[in-house]
Amino acid sequence: MRTRQLLLRSLRYILIGVFVLWILVPVAWVVTLAFKSYAEWRVSYFIPKKPTLDNFIVLFKPEVFTGVMGATAIVEPVTKPLINSILISAFSTILAVIIGFFTAYGASRYNTPGPFGIFFTLLTRMLPPATFVTPIMVYYSSLNLLDQHFGLIVLYSSVTVTYGIWILKGFIDAIPVEWEEAAMLEGASPTRVLFKVVLPLARPGLVVSALFIFLLNWTELLFALVLTNINAVTLPVHISKYVGAVGQLYGPQAALALVGSIIPVVIGYLIQKHLVTGFTFGMVR
Amino acid sequence: MVNRPAPRSIKLLANIPLNLLLFSVLIVPFVLMIYLAFLEWNPASGYDWWKAPITGLTNFKKALEDARFLYSFRLTMIYVVVTVAVEFLLGLALAYLLLEDFPGKKLVIAAVIYPLMLPPVVVATIFYLMFQDYGPINNIFLRSIMGASALNLHWFLRPDTAFITLLIADIWQWTPFIFLIMYSALSAVPKRLVEAAQVLGAGSSTIFWRIRLPLIKPLIIIAVVLRALEAFKVFDYVYIMTGGGPGTSTETVSLYIYRVAIEYHDISYAAAMSLIVLAVIMVVIRAFIWYAFERGE
Repeated sequence: MRTRQLLLRSLRYILIGVFVLWILVPVAWVVTLAFKSYAEWRVSYFIPKKPTLDNFIVLFKPEVFTGVMGATAIVEPVTKPLINSILISAFSTILAVIIGFFTAYGASRYNTPGPFGIFFTLLTRMLPPATFVTPIMVYYSSLNLLDQHFGLIVLYSSVTVTYGIWILKGFIDAIPVEWEEAAMLEGASPTRVLFKVVLPLARPGLVVSALFIFLLNWTELLFALVLTNINAVTLPVHISKYVGAVGQLYGPQAALALVGSIIPVVIGYLIQKHLVTGFTFGMVR
Repeated sequence: MVNRPAPRSIKLLANIPLNLLLFSVLIVPFVLMIYLAFLEWNPASGYDWWKAPITGLTNFKKALEDARFLYSFRLTMIYVVVTVAVEFLLGLALAYLLLEDFPGKKLVIAAVIYPLMLPPVVVATIFYLMFQDYGPINNIFLRSIMGASALNLHWFLRPDTAFITLLIADIWQWTPFIFLIMYSALSAVPKRLVEAAQVLGAGSSTIFWRIRLPLIKPLIIIAVVLRALEAFKVFDYVYIMTGGGPGTSTETVSLYIYRVAIEYHDISYAAAMSLIVLAVIMVVIRAFIWYAFERGE
C-alpha cells in the first residue's frame, strides 16, 4: 500500500513535469534562437555559443540585412507598427472601457439593455471575424477609413466592448447599493452618484477590464490585415508579413516574436487572477 | 438590482454610446453584407456596388456547389473537434493533477498559463520555427529517435503533417484555457462533500468521477463551447504557418473567405459565404446562450 502511494505520487510529479516541459521548451527555443548569430540558426542545441543582439537590431534597421545575414529581402522597420499597435490598442481600450462602464452600470442597477442587449453584445464576440471582413472593407472604403488609425480604433472597441460590459458588471454588482442610496438621500443626482460614488469604487474593475481588453486588441490580426496597408499597420500584421514572405530569417523572426510578446505577457501576469473571468465573460469566477 | 425605474440620465448613458458604436461600426456593415450577397459585384467591375445588378440567390447556390468552400468547412469542423477534444482531456487532466497542494505549485501554474497571454501570431511564429526542416522537432527530438533521416521530414510540404502542425499550435496555446476553467471549477467544489464521501469509504477516483465531475458539468459545457467557437474562427495560425497549403489542403473557412474577398476581389460571393457560415454559427450560439444564461430563469 505504501509503495503504491509513493509510485502514484511520483507518477503525478512526472506528468506535471512533462506538461511544464511541453509548454516551456518551444518558448526556450525561440528565446535562445533570438540571440543566435546567422551561423547558429540551424544548430541542434539551445544555448548560443556567441550570443548576439544582431537579430533585434535588424528588426529596427533592416538595411543591415544584406551585409550581415545574406538575405536579399528588405522589410520595413518594426518601429512604426509597434507605435501604431500601442496607439490603436490604447485608444480603443479606453473607448471600450468608458462605454462598457456606463452600460454595465445600467445593466447592473436597472437592467437597462435587457436580454436583447446581452445576447447581441455576446454575439459580436462569438461570431467569426472573417464573416465580417467583407462588408467592413466595403463600408470603410466608402467612408475613406481604410488604413486609418481611427477606423481600427472604433472597430476594435466595438468588438471588445462586450468584455468591458461583462467584466465591469461583475465588479459593480459587488458594490453595495446602499452607498448609492445614501448619496441619493443627500440629494445627489444619479449622474453625480455614478461619477462620485460608483466610479471610484469600480476602479479595480476598470483597471482589470482595460488590461484585458488591451491584451485582446494587441493580439488582433485579421481586421488589421484587411483594413491597413502602410499607414496604420499593426504589429501582428508586421509579424505576419515577416514570417510568411521573408523566408527563413529564423533569428530575426524569433526576435520579433519576443518583441511582440513582452507587453501582453506583462499584462497577462498582472491580471492572472482575472483571466478566467475575462475569457468567459464573467460566467466563471 | 434596484427596484425602481432607471433615471433618464442613466438610461441615456447606458444605451446611447453603446448603441451608437455598435450601430455605426457593426450593424450598418451587416445590413450592407446582406444586400451585397444578392448582387453580382466586385471592385473591378467598373461601377459602384449600389449600381450592381441584383442576381438573387446565385451566390448562395454557387457556394453550396463550391467544392473548395465545402472542403474548408469540413476541414474547420475536423479542426474544431480534434483540438477541443484534446484540449479538454489535457486541460482536465492537468487541473486534476494540480488540485492537491505541493511546494512550487504557483510557479507551475504561472508556467502553464504562459501561452494564453501570447498573441496567436507569436504562437504561429514559434511553431513555424519549431517545425522547420532544421528546427528542434526534426533536428533534436526526432533525430534522437530515427536518426539523420528525420531531417528529410518537411512538415509544411505534406497536407497531413501541415495540418498536424496547426493542431499542435492550437493545442499548445489553448489547453491552458480549459485548464484554468477546470481548475477554478474543481477548486470550488465544497470540501465537506469530498470529506463526507471519504468518510463513507469512497476512493479518490470514485470521488472524482461521481462527485467532482458531475458538480462541474455546467462549467465543462461553458468551457468547451466557448473554446469550440474560438477554434472555429481559426485564421492566424493557418495564414502564417501554412498559408492554407500545400495547395489548398489546410485552408480553413476563415482563410477561404478572406482570400475570396481580399485576394480574388469577389465581394458578393464572399458576402454570401459569410452569411451561410453566420447562419450555422448563430444556431450554436443561440442554444449556448440559452443554456448559460436563460435556462435557470
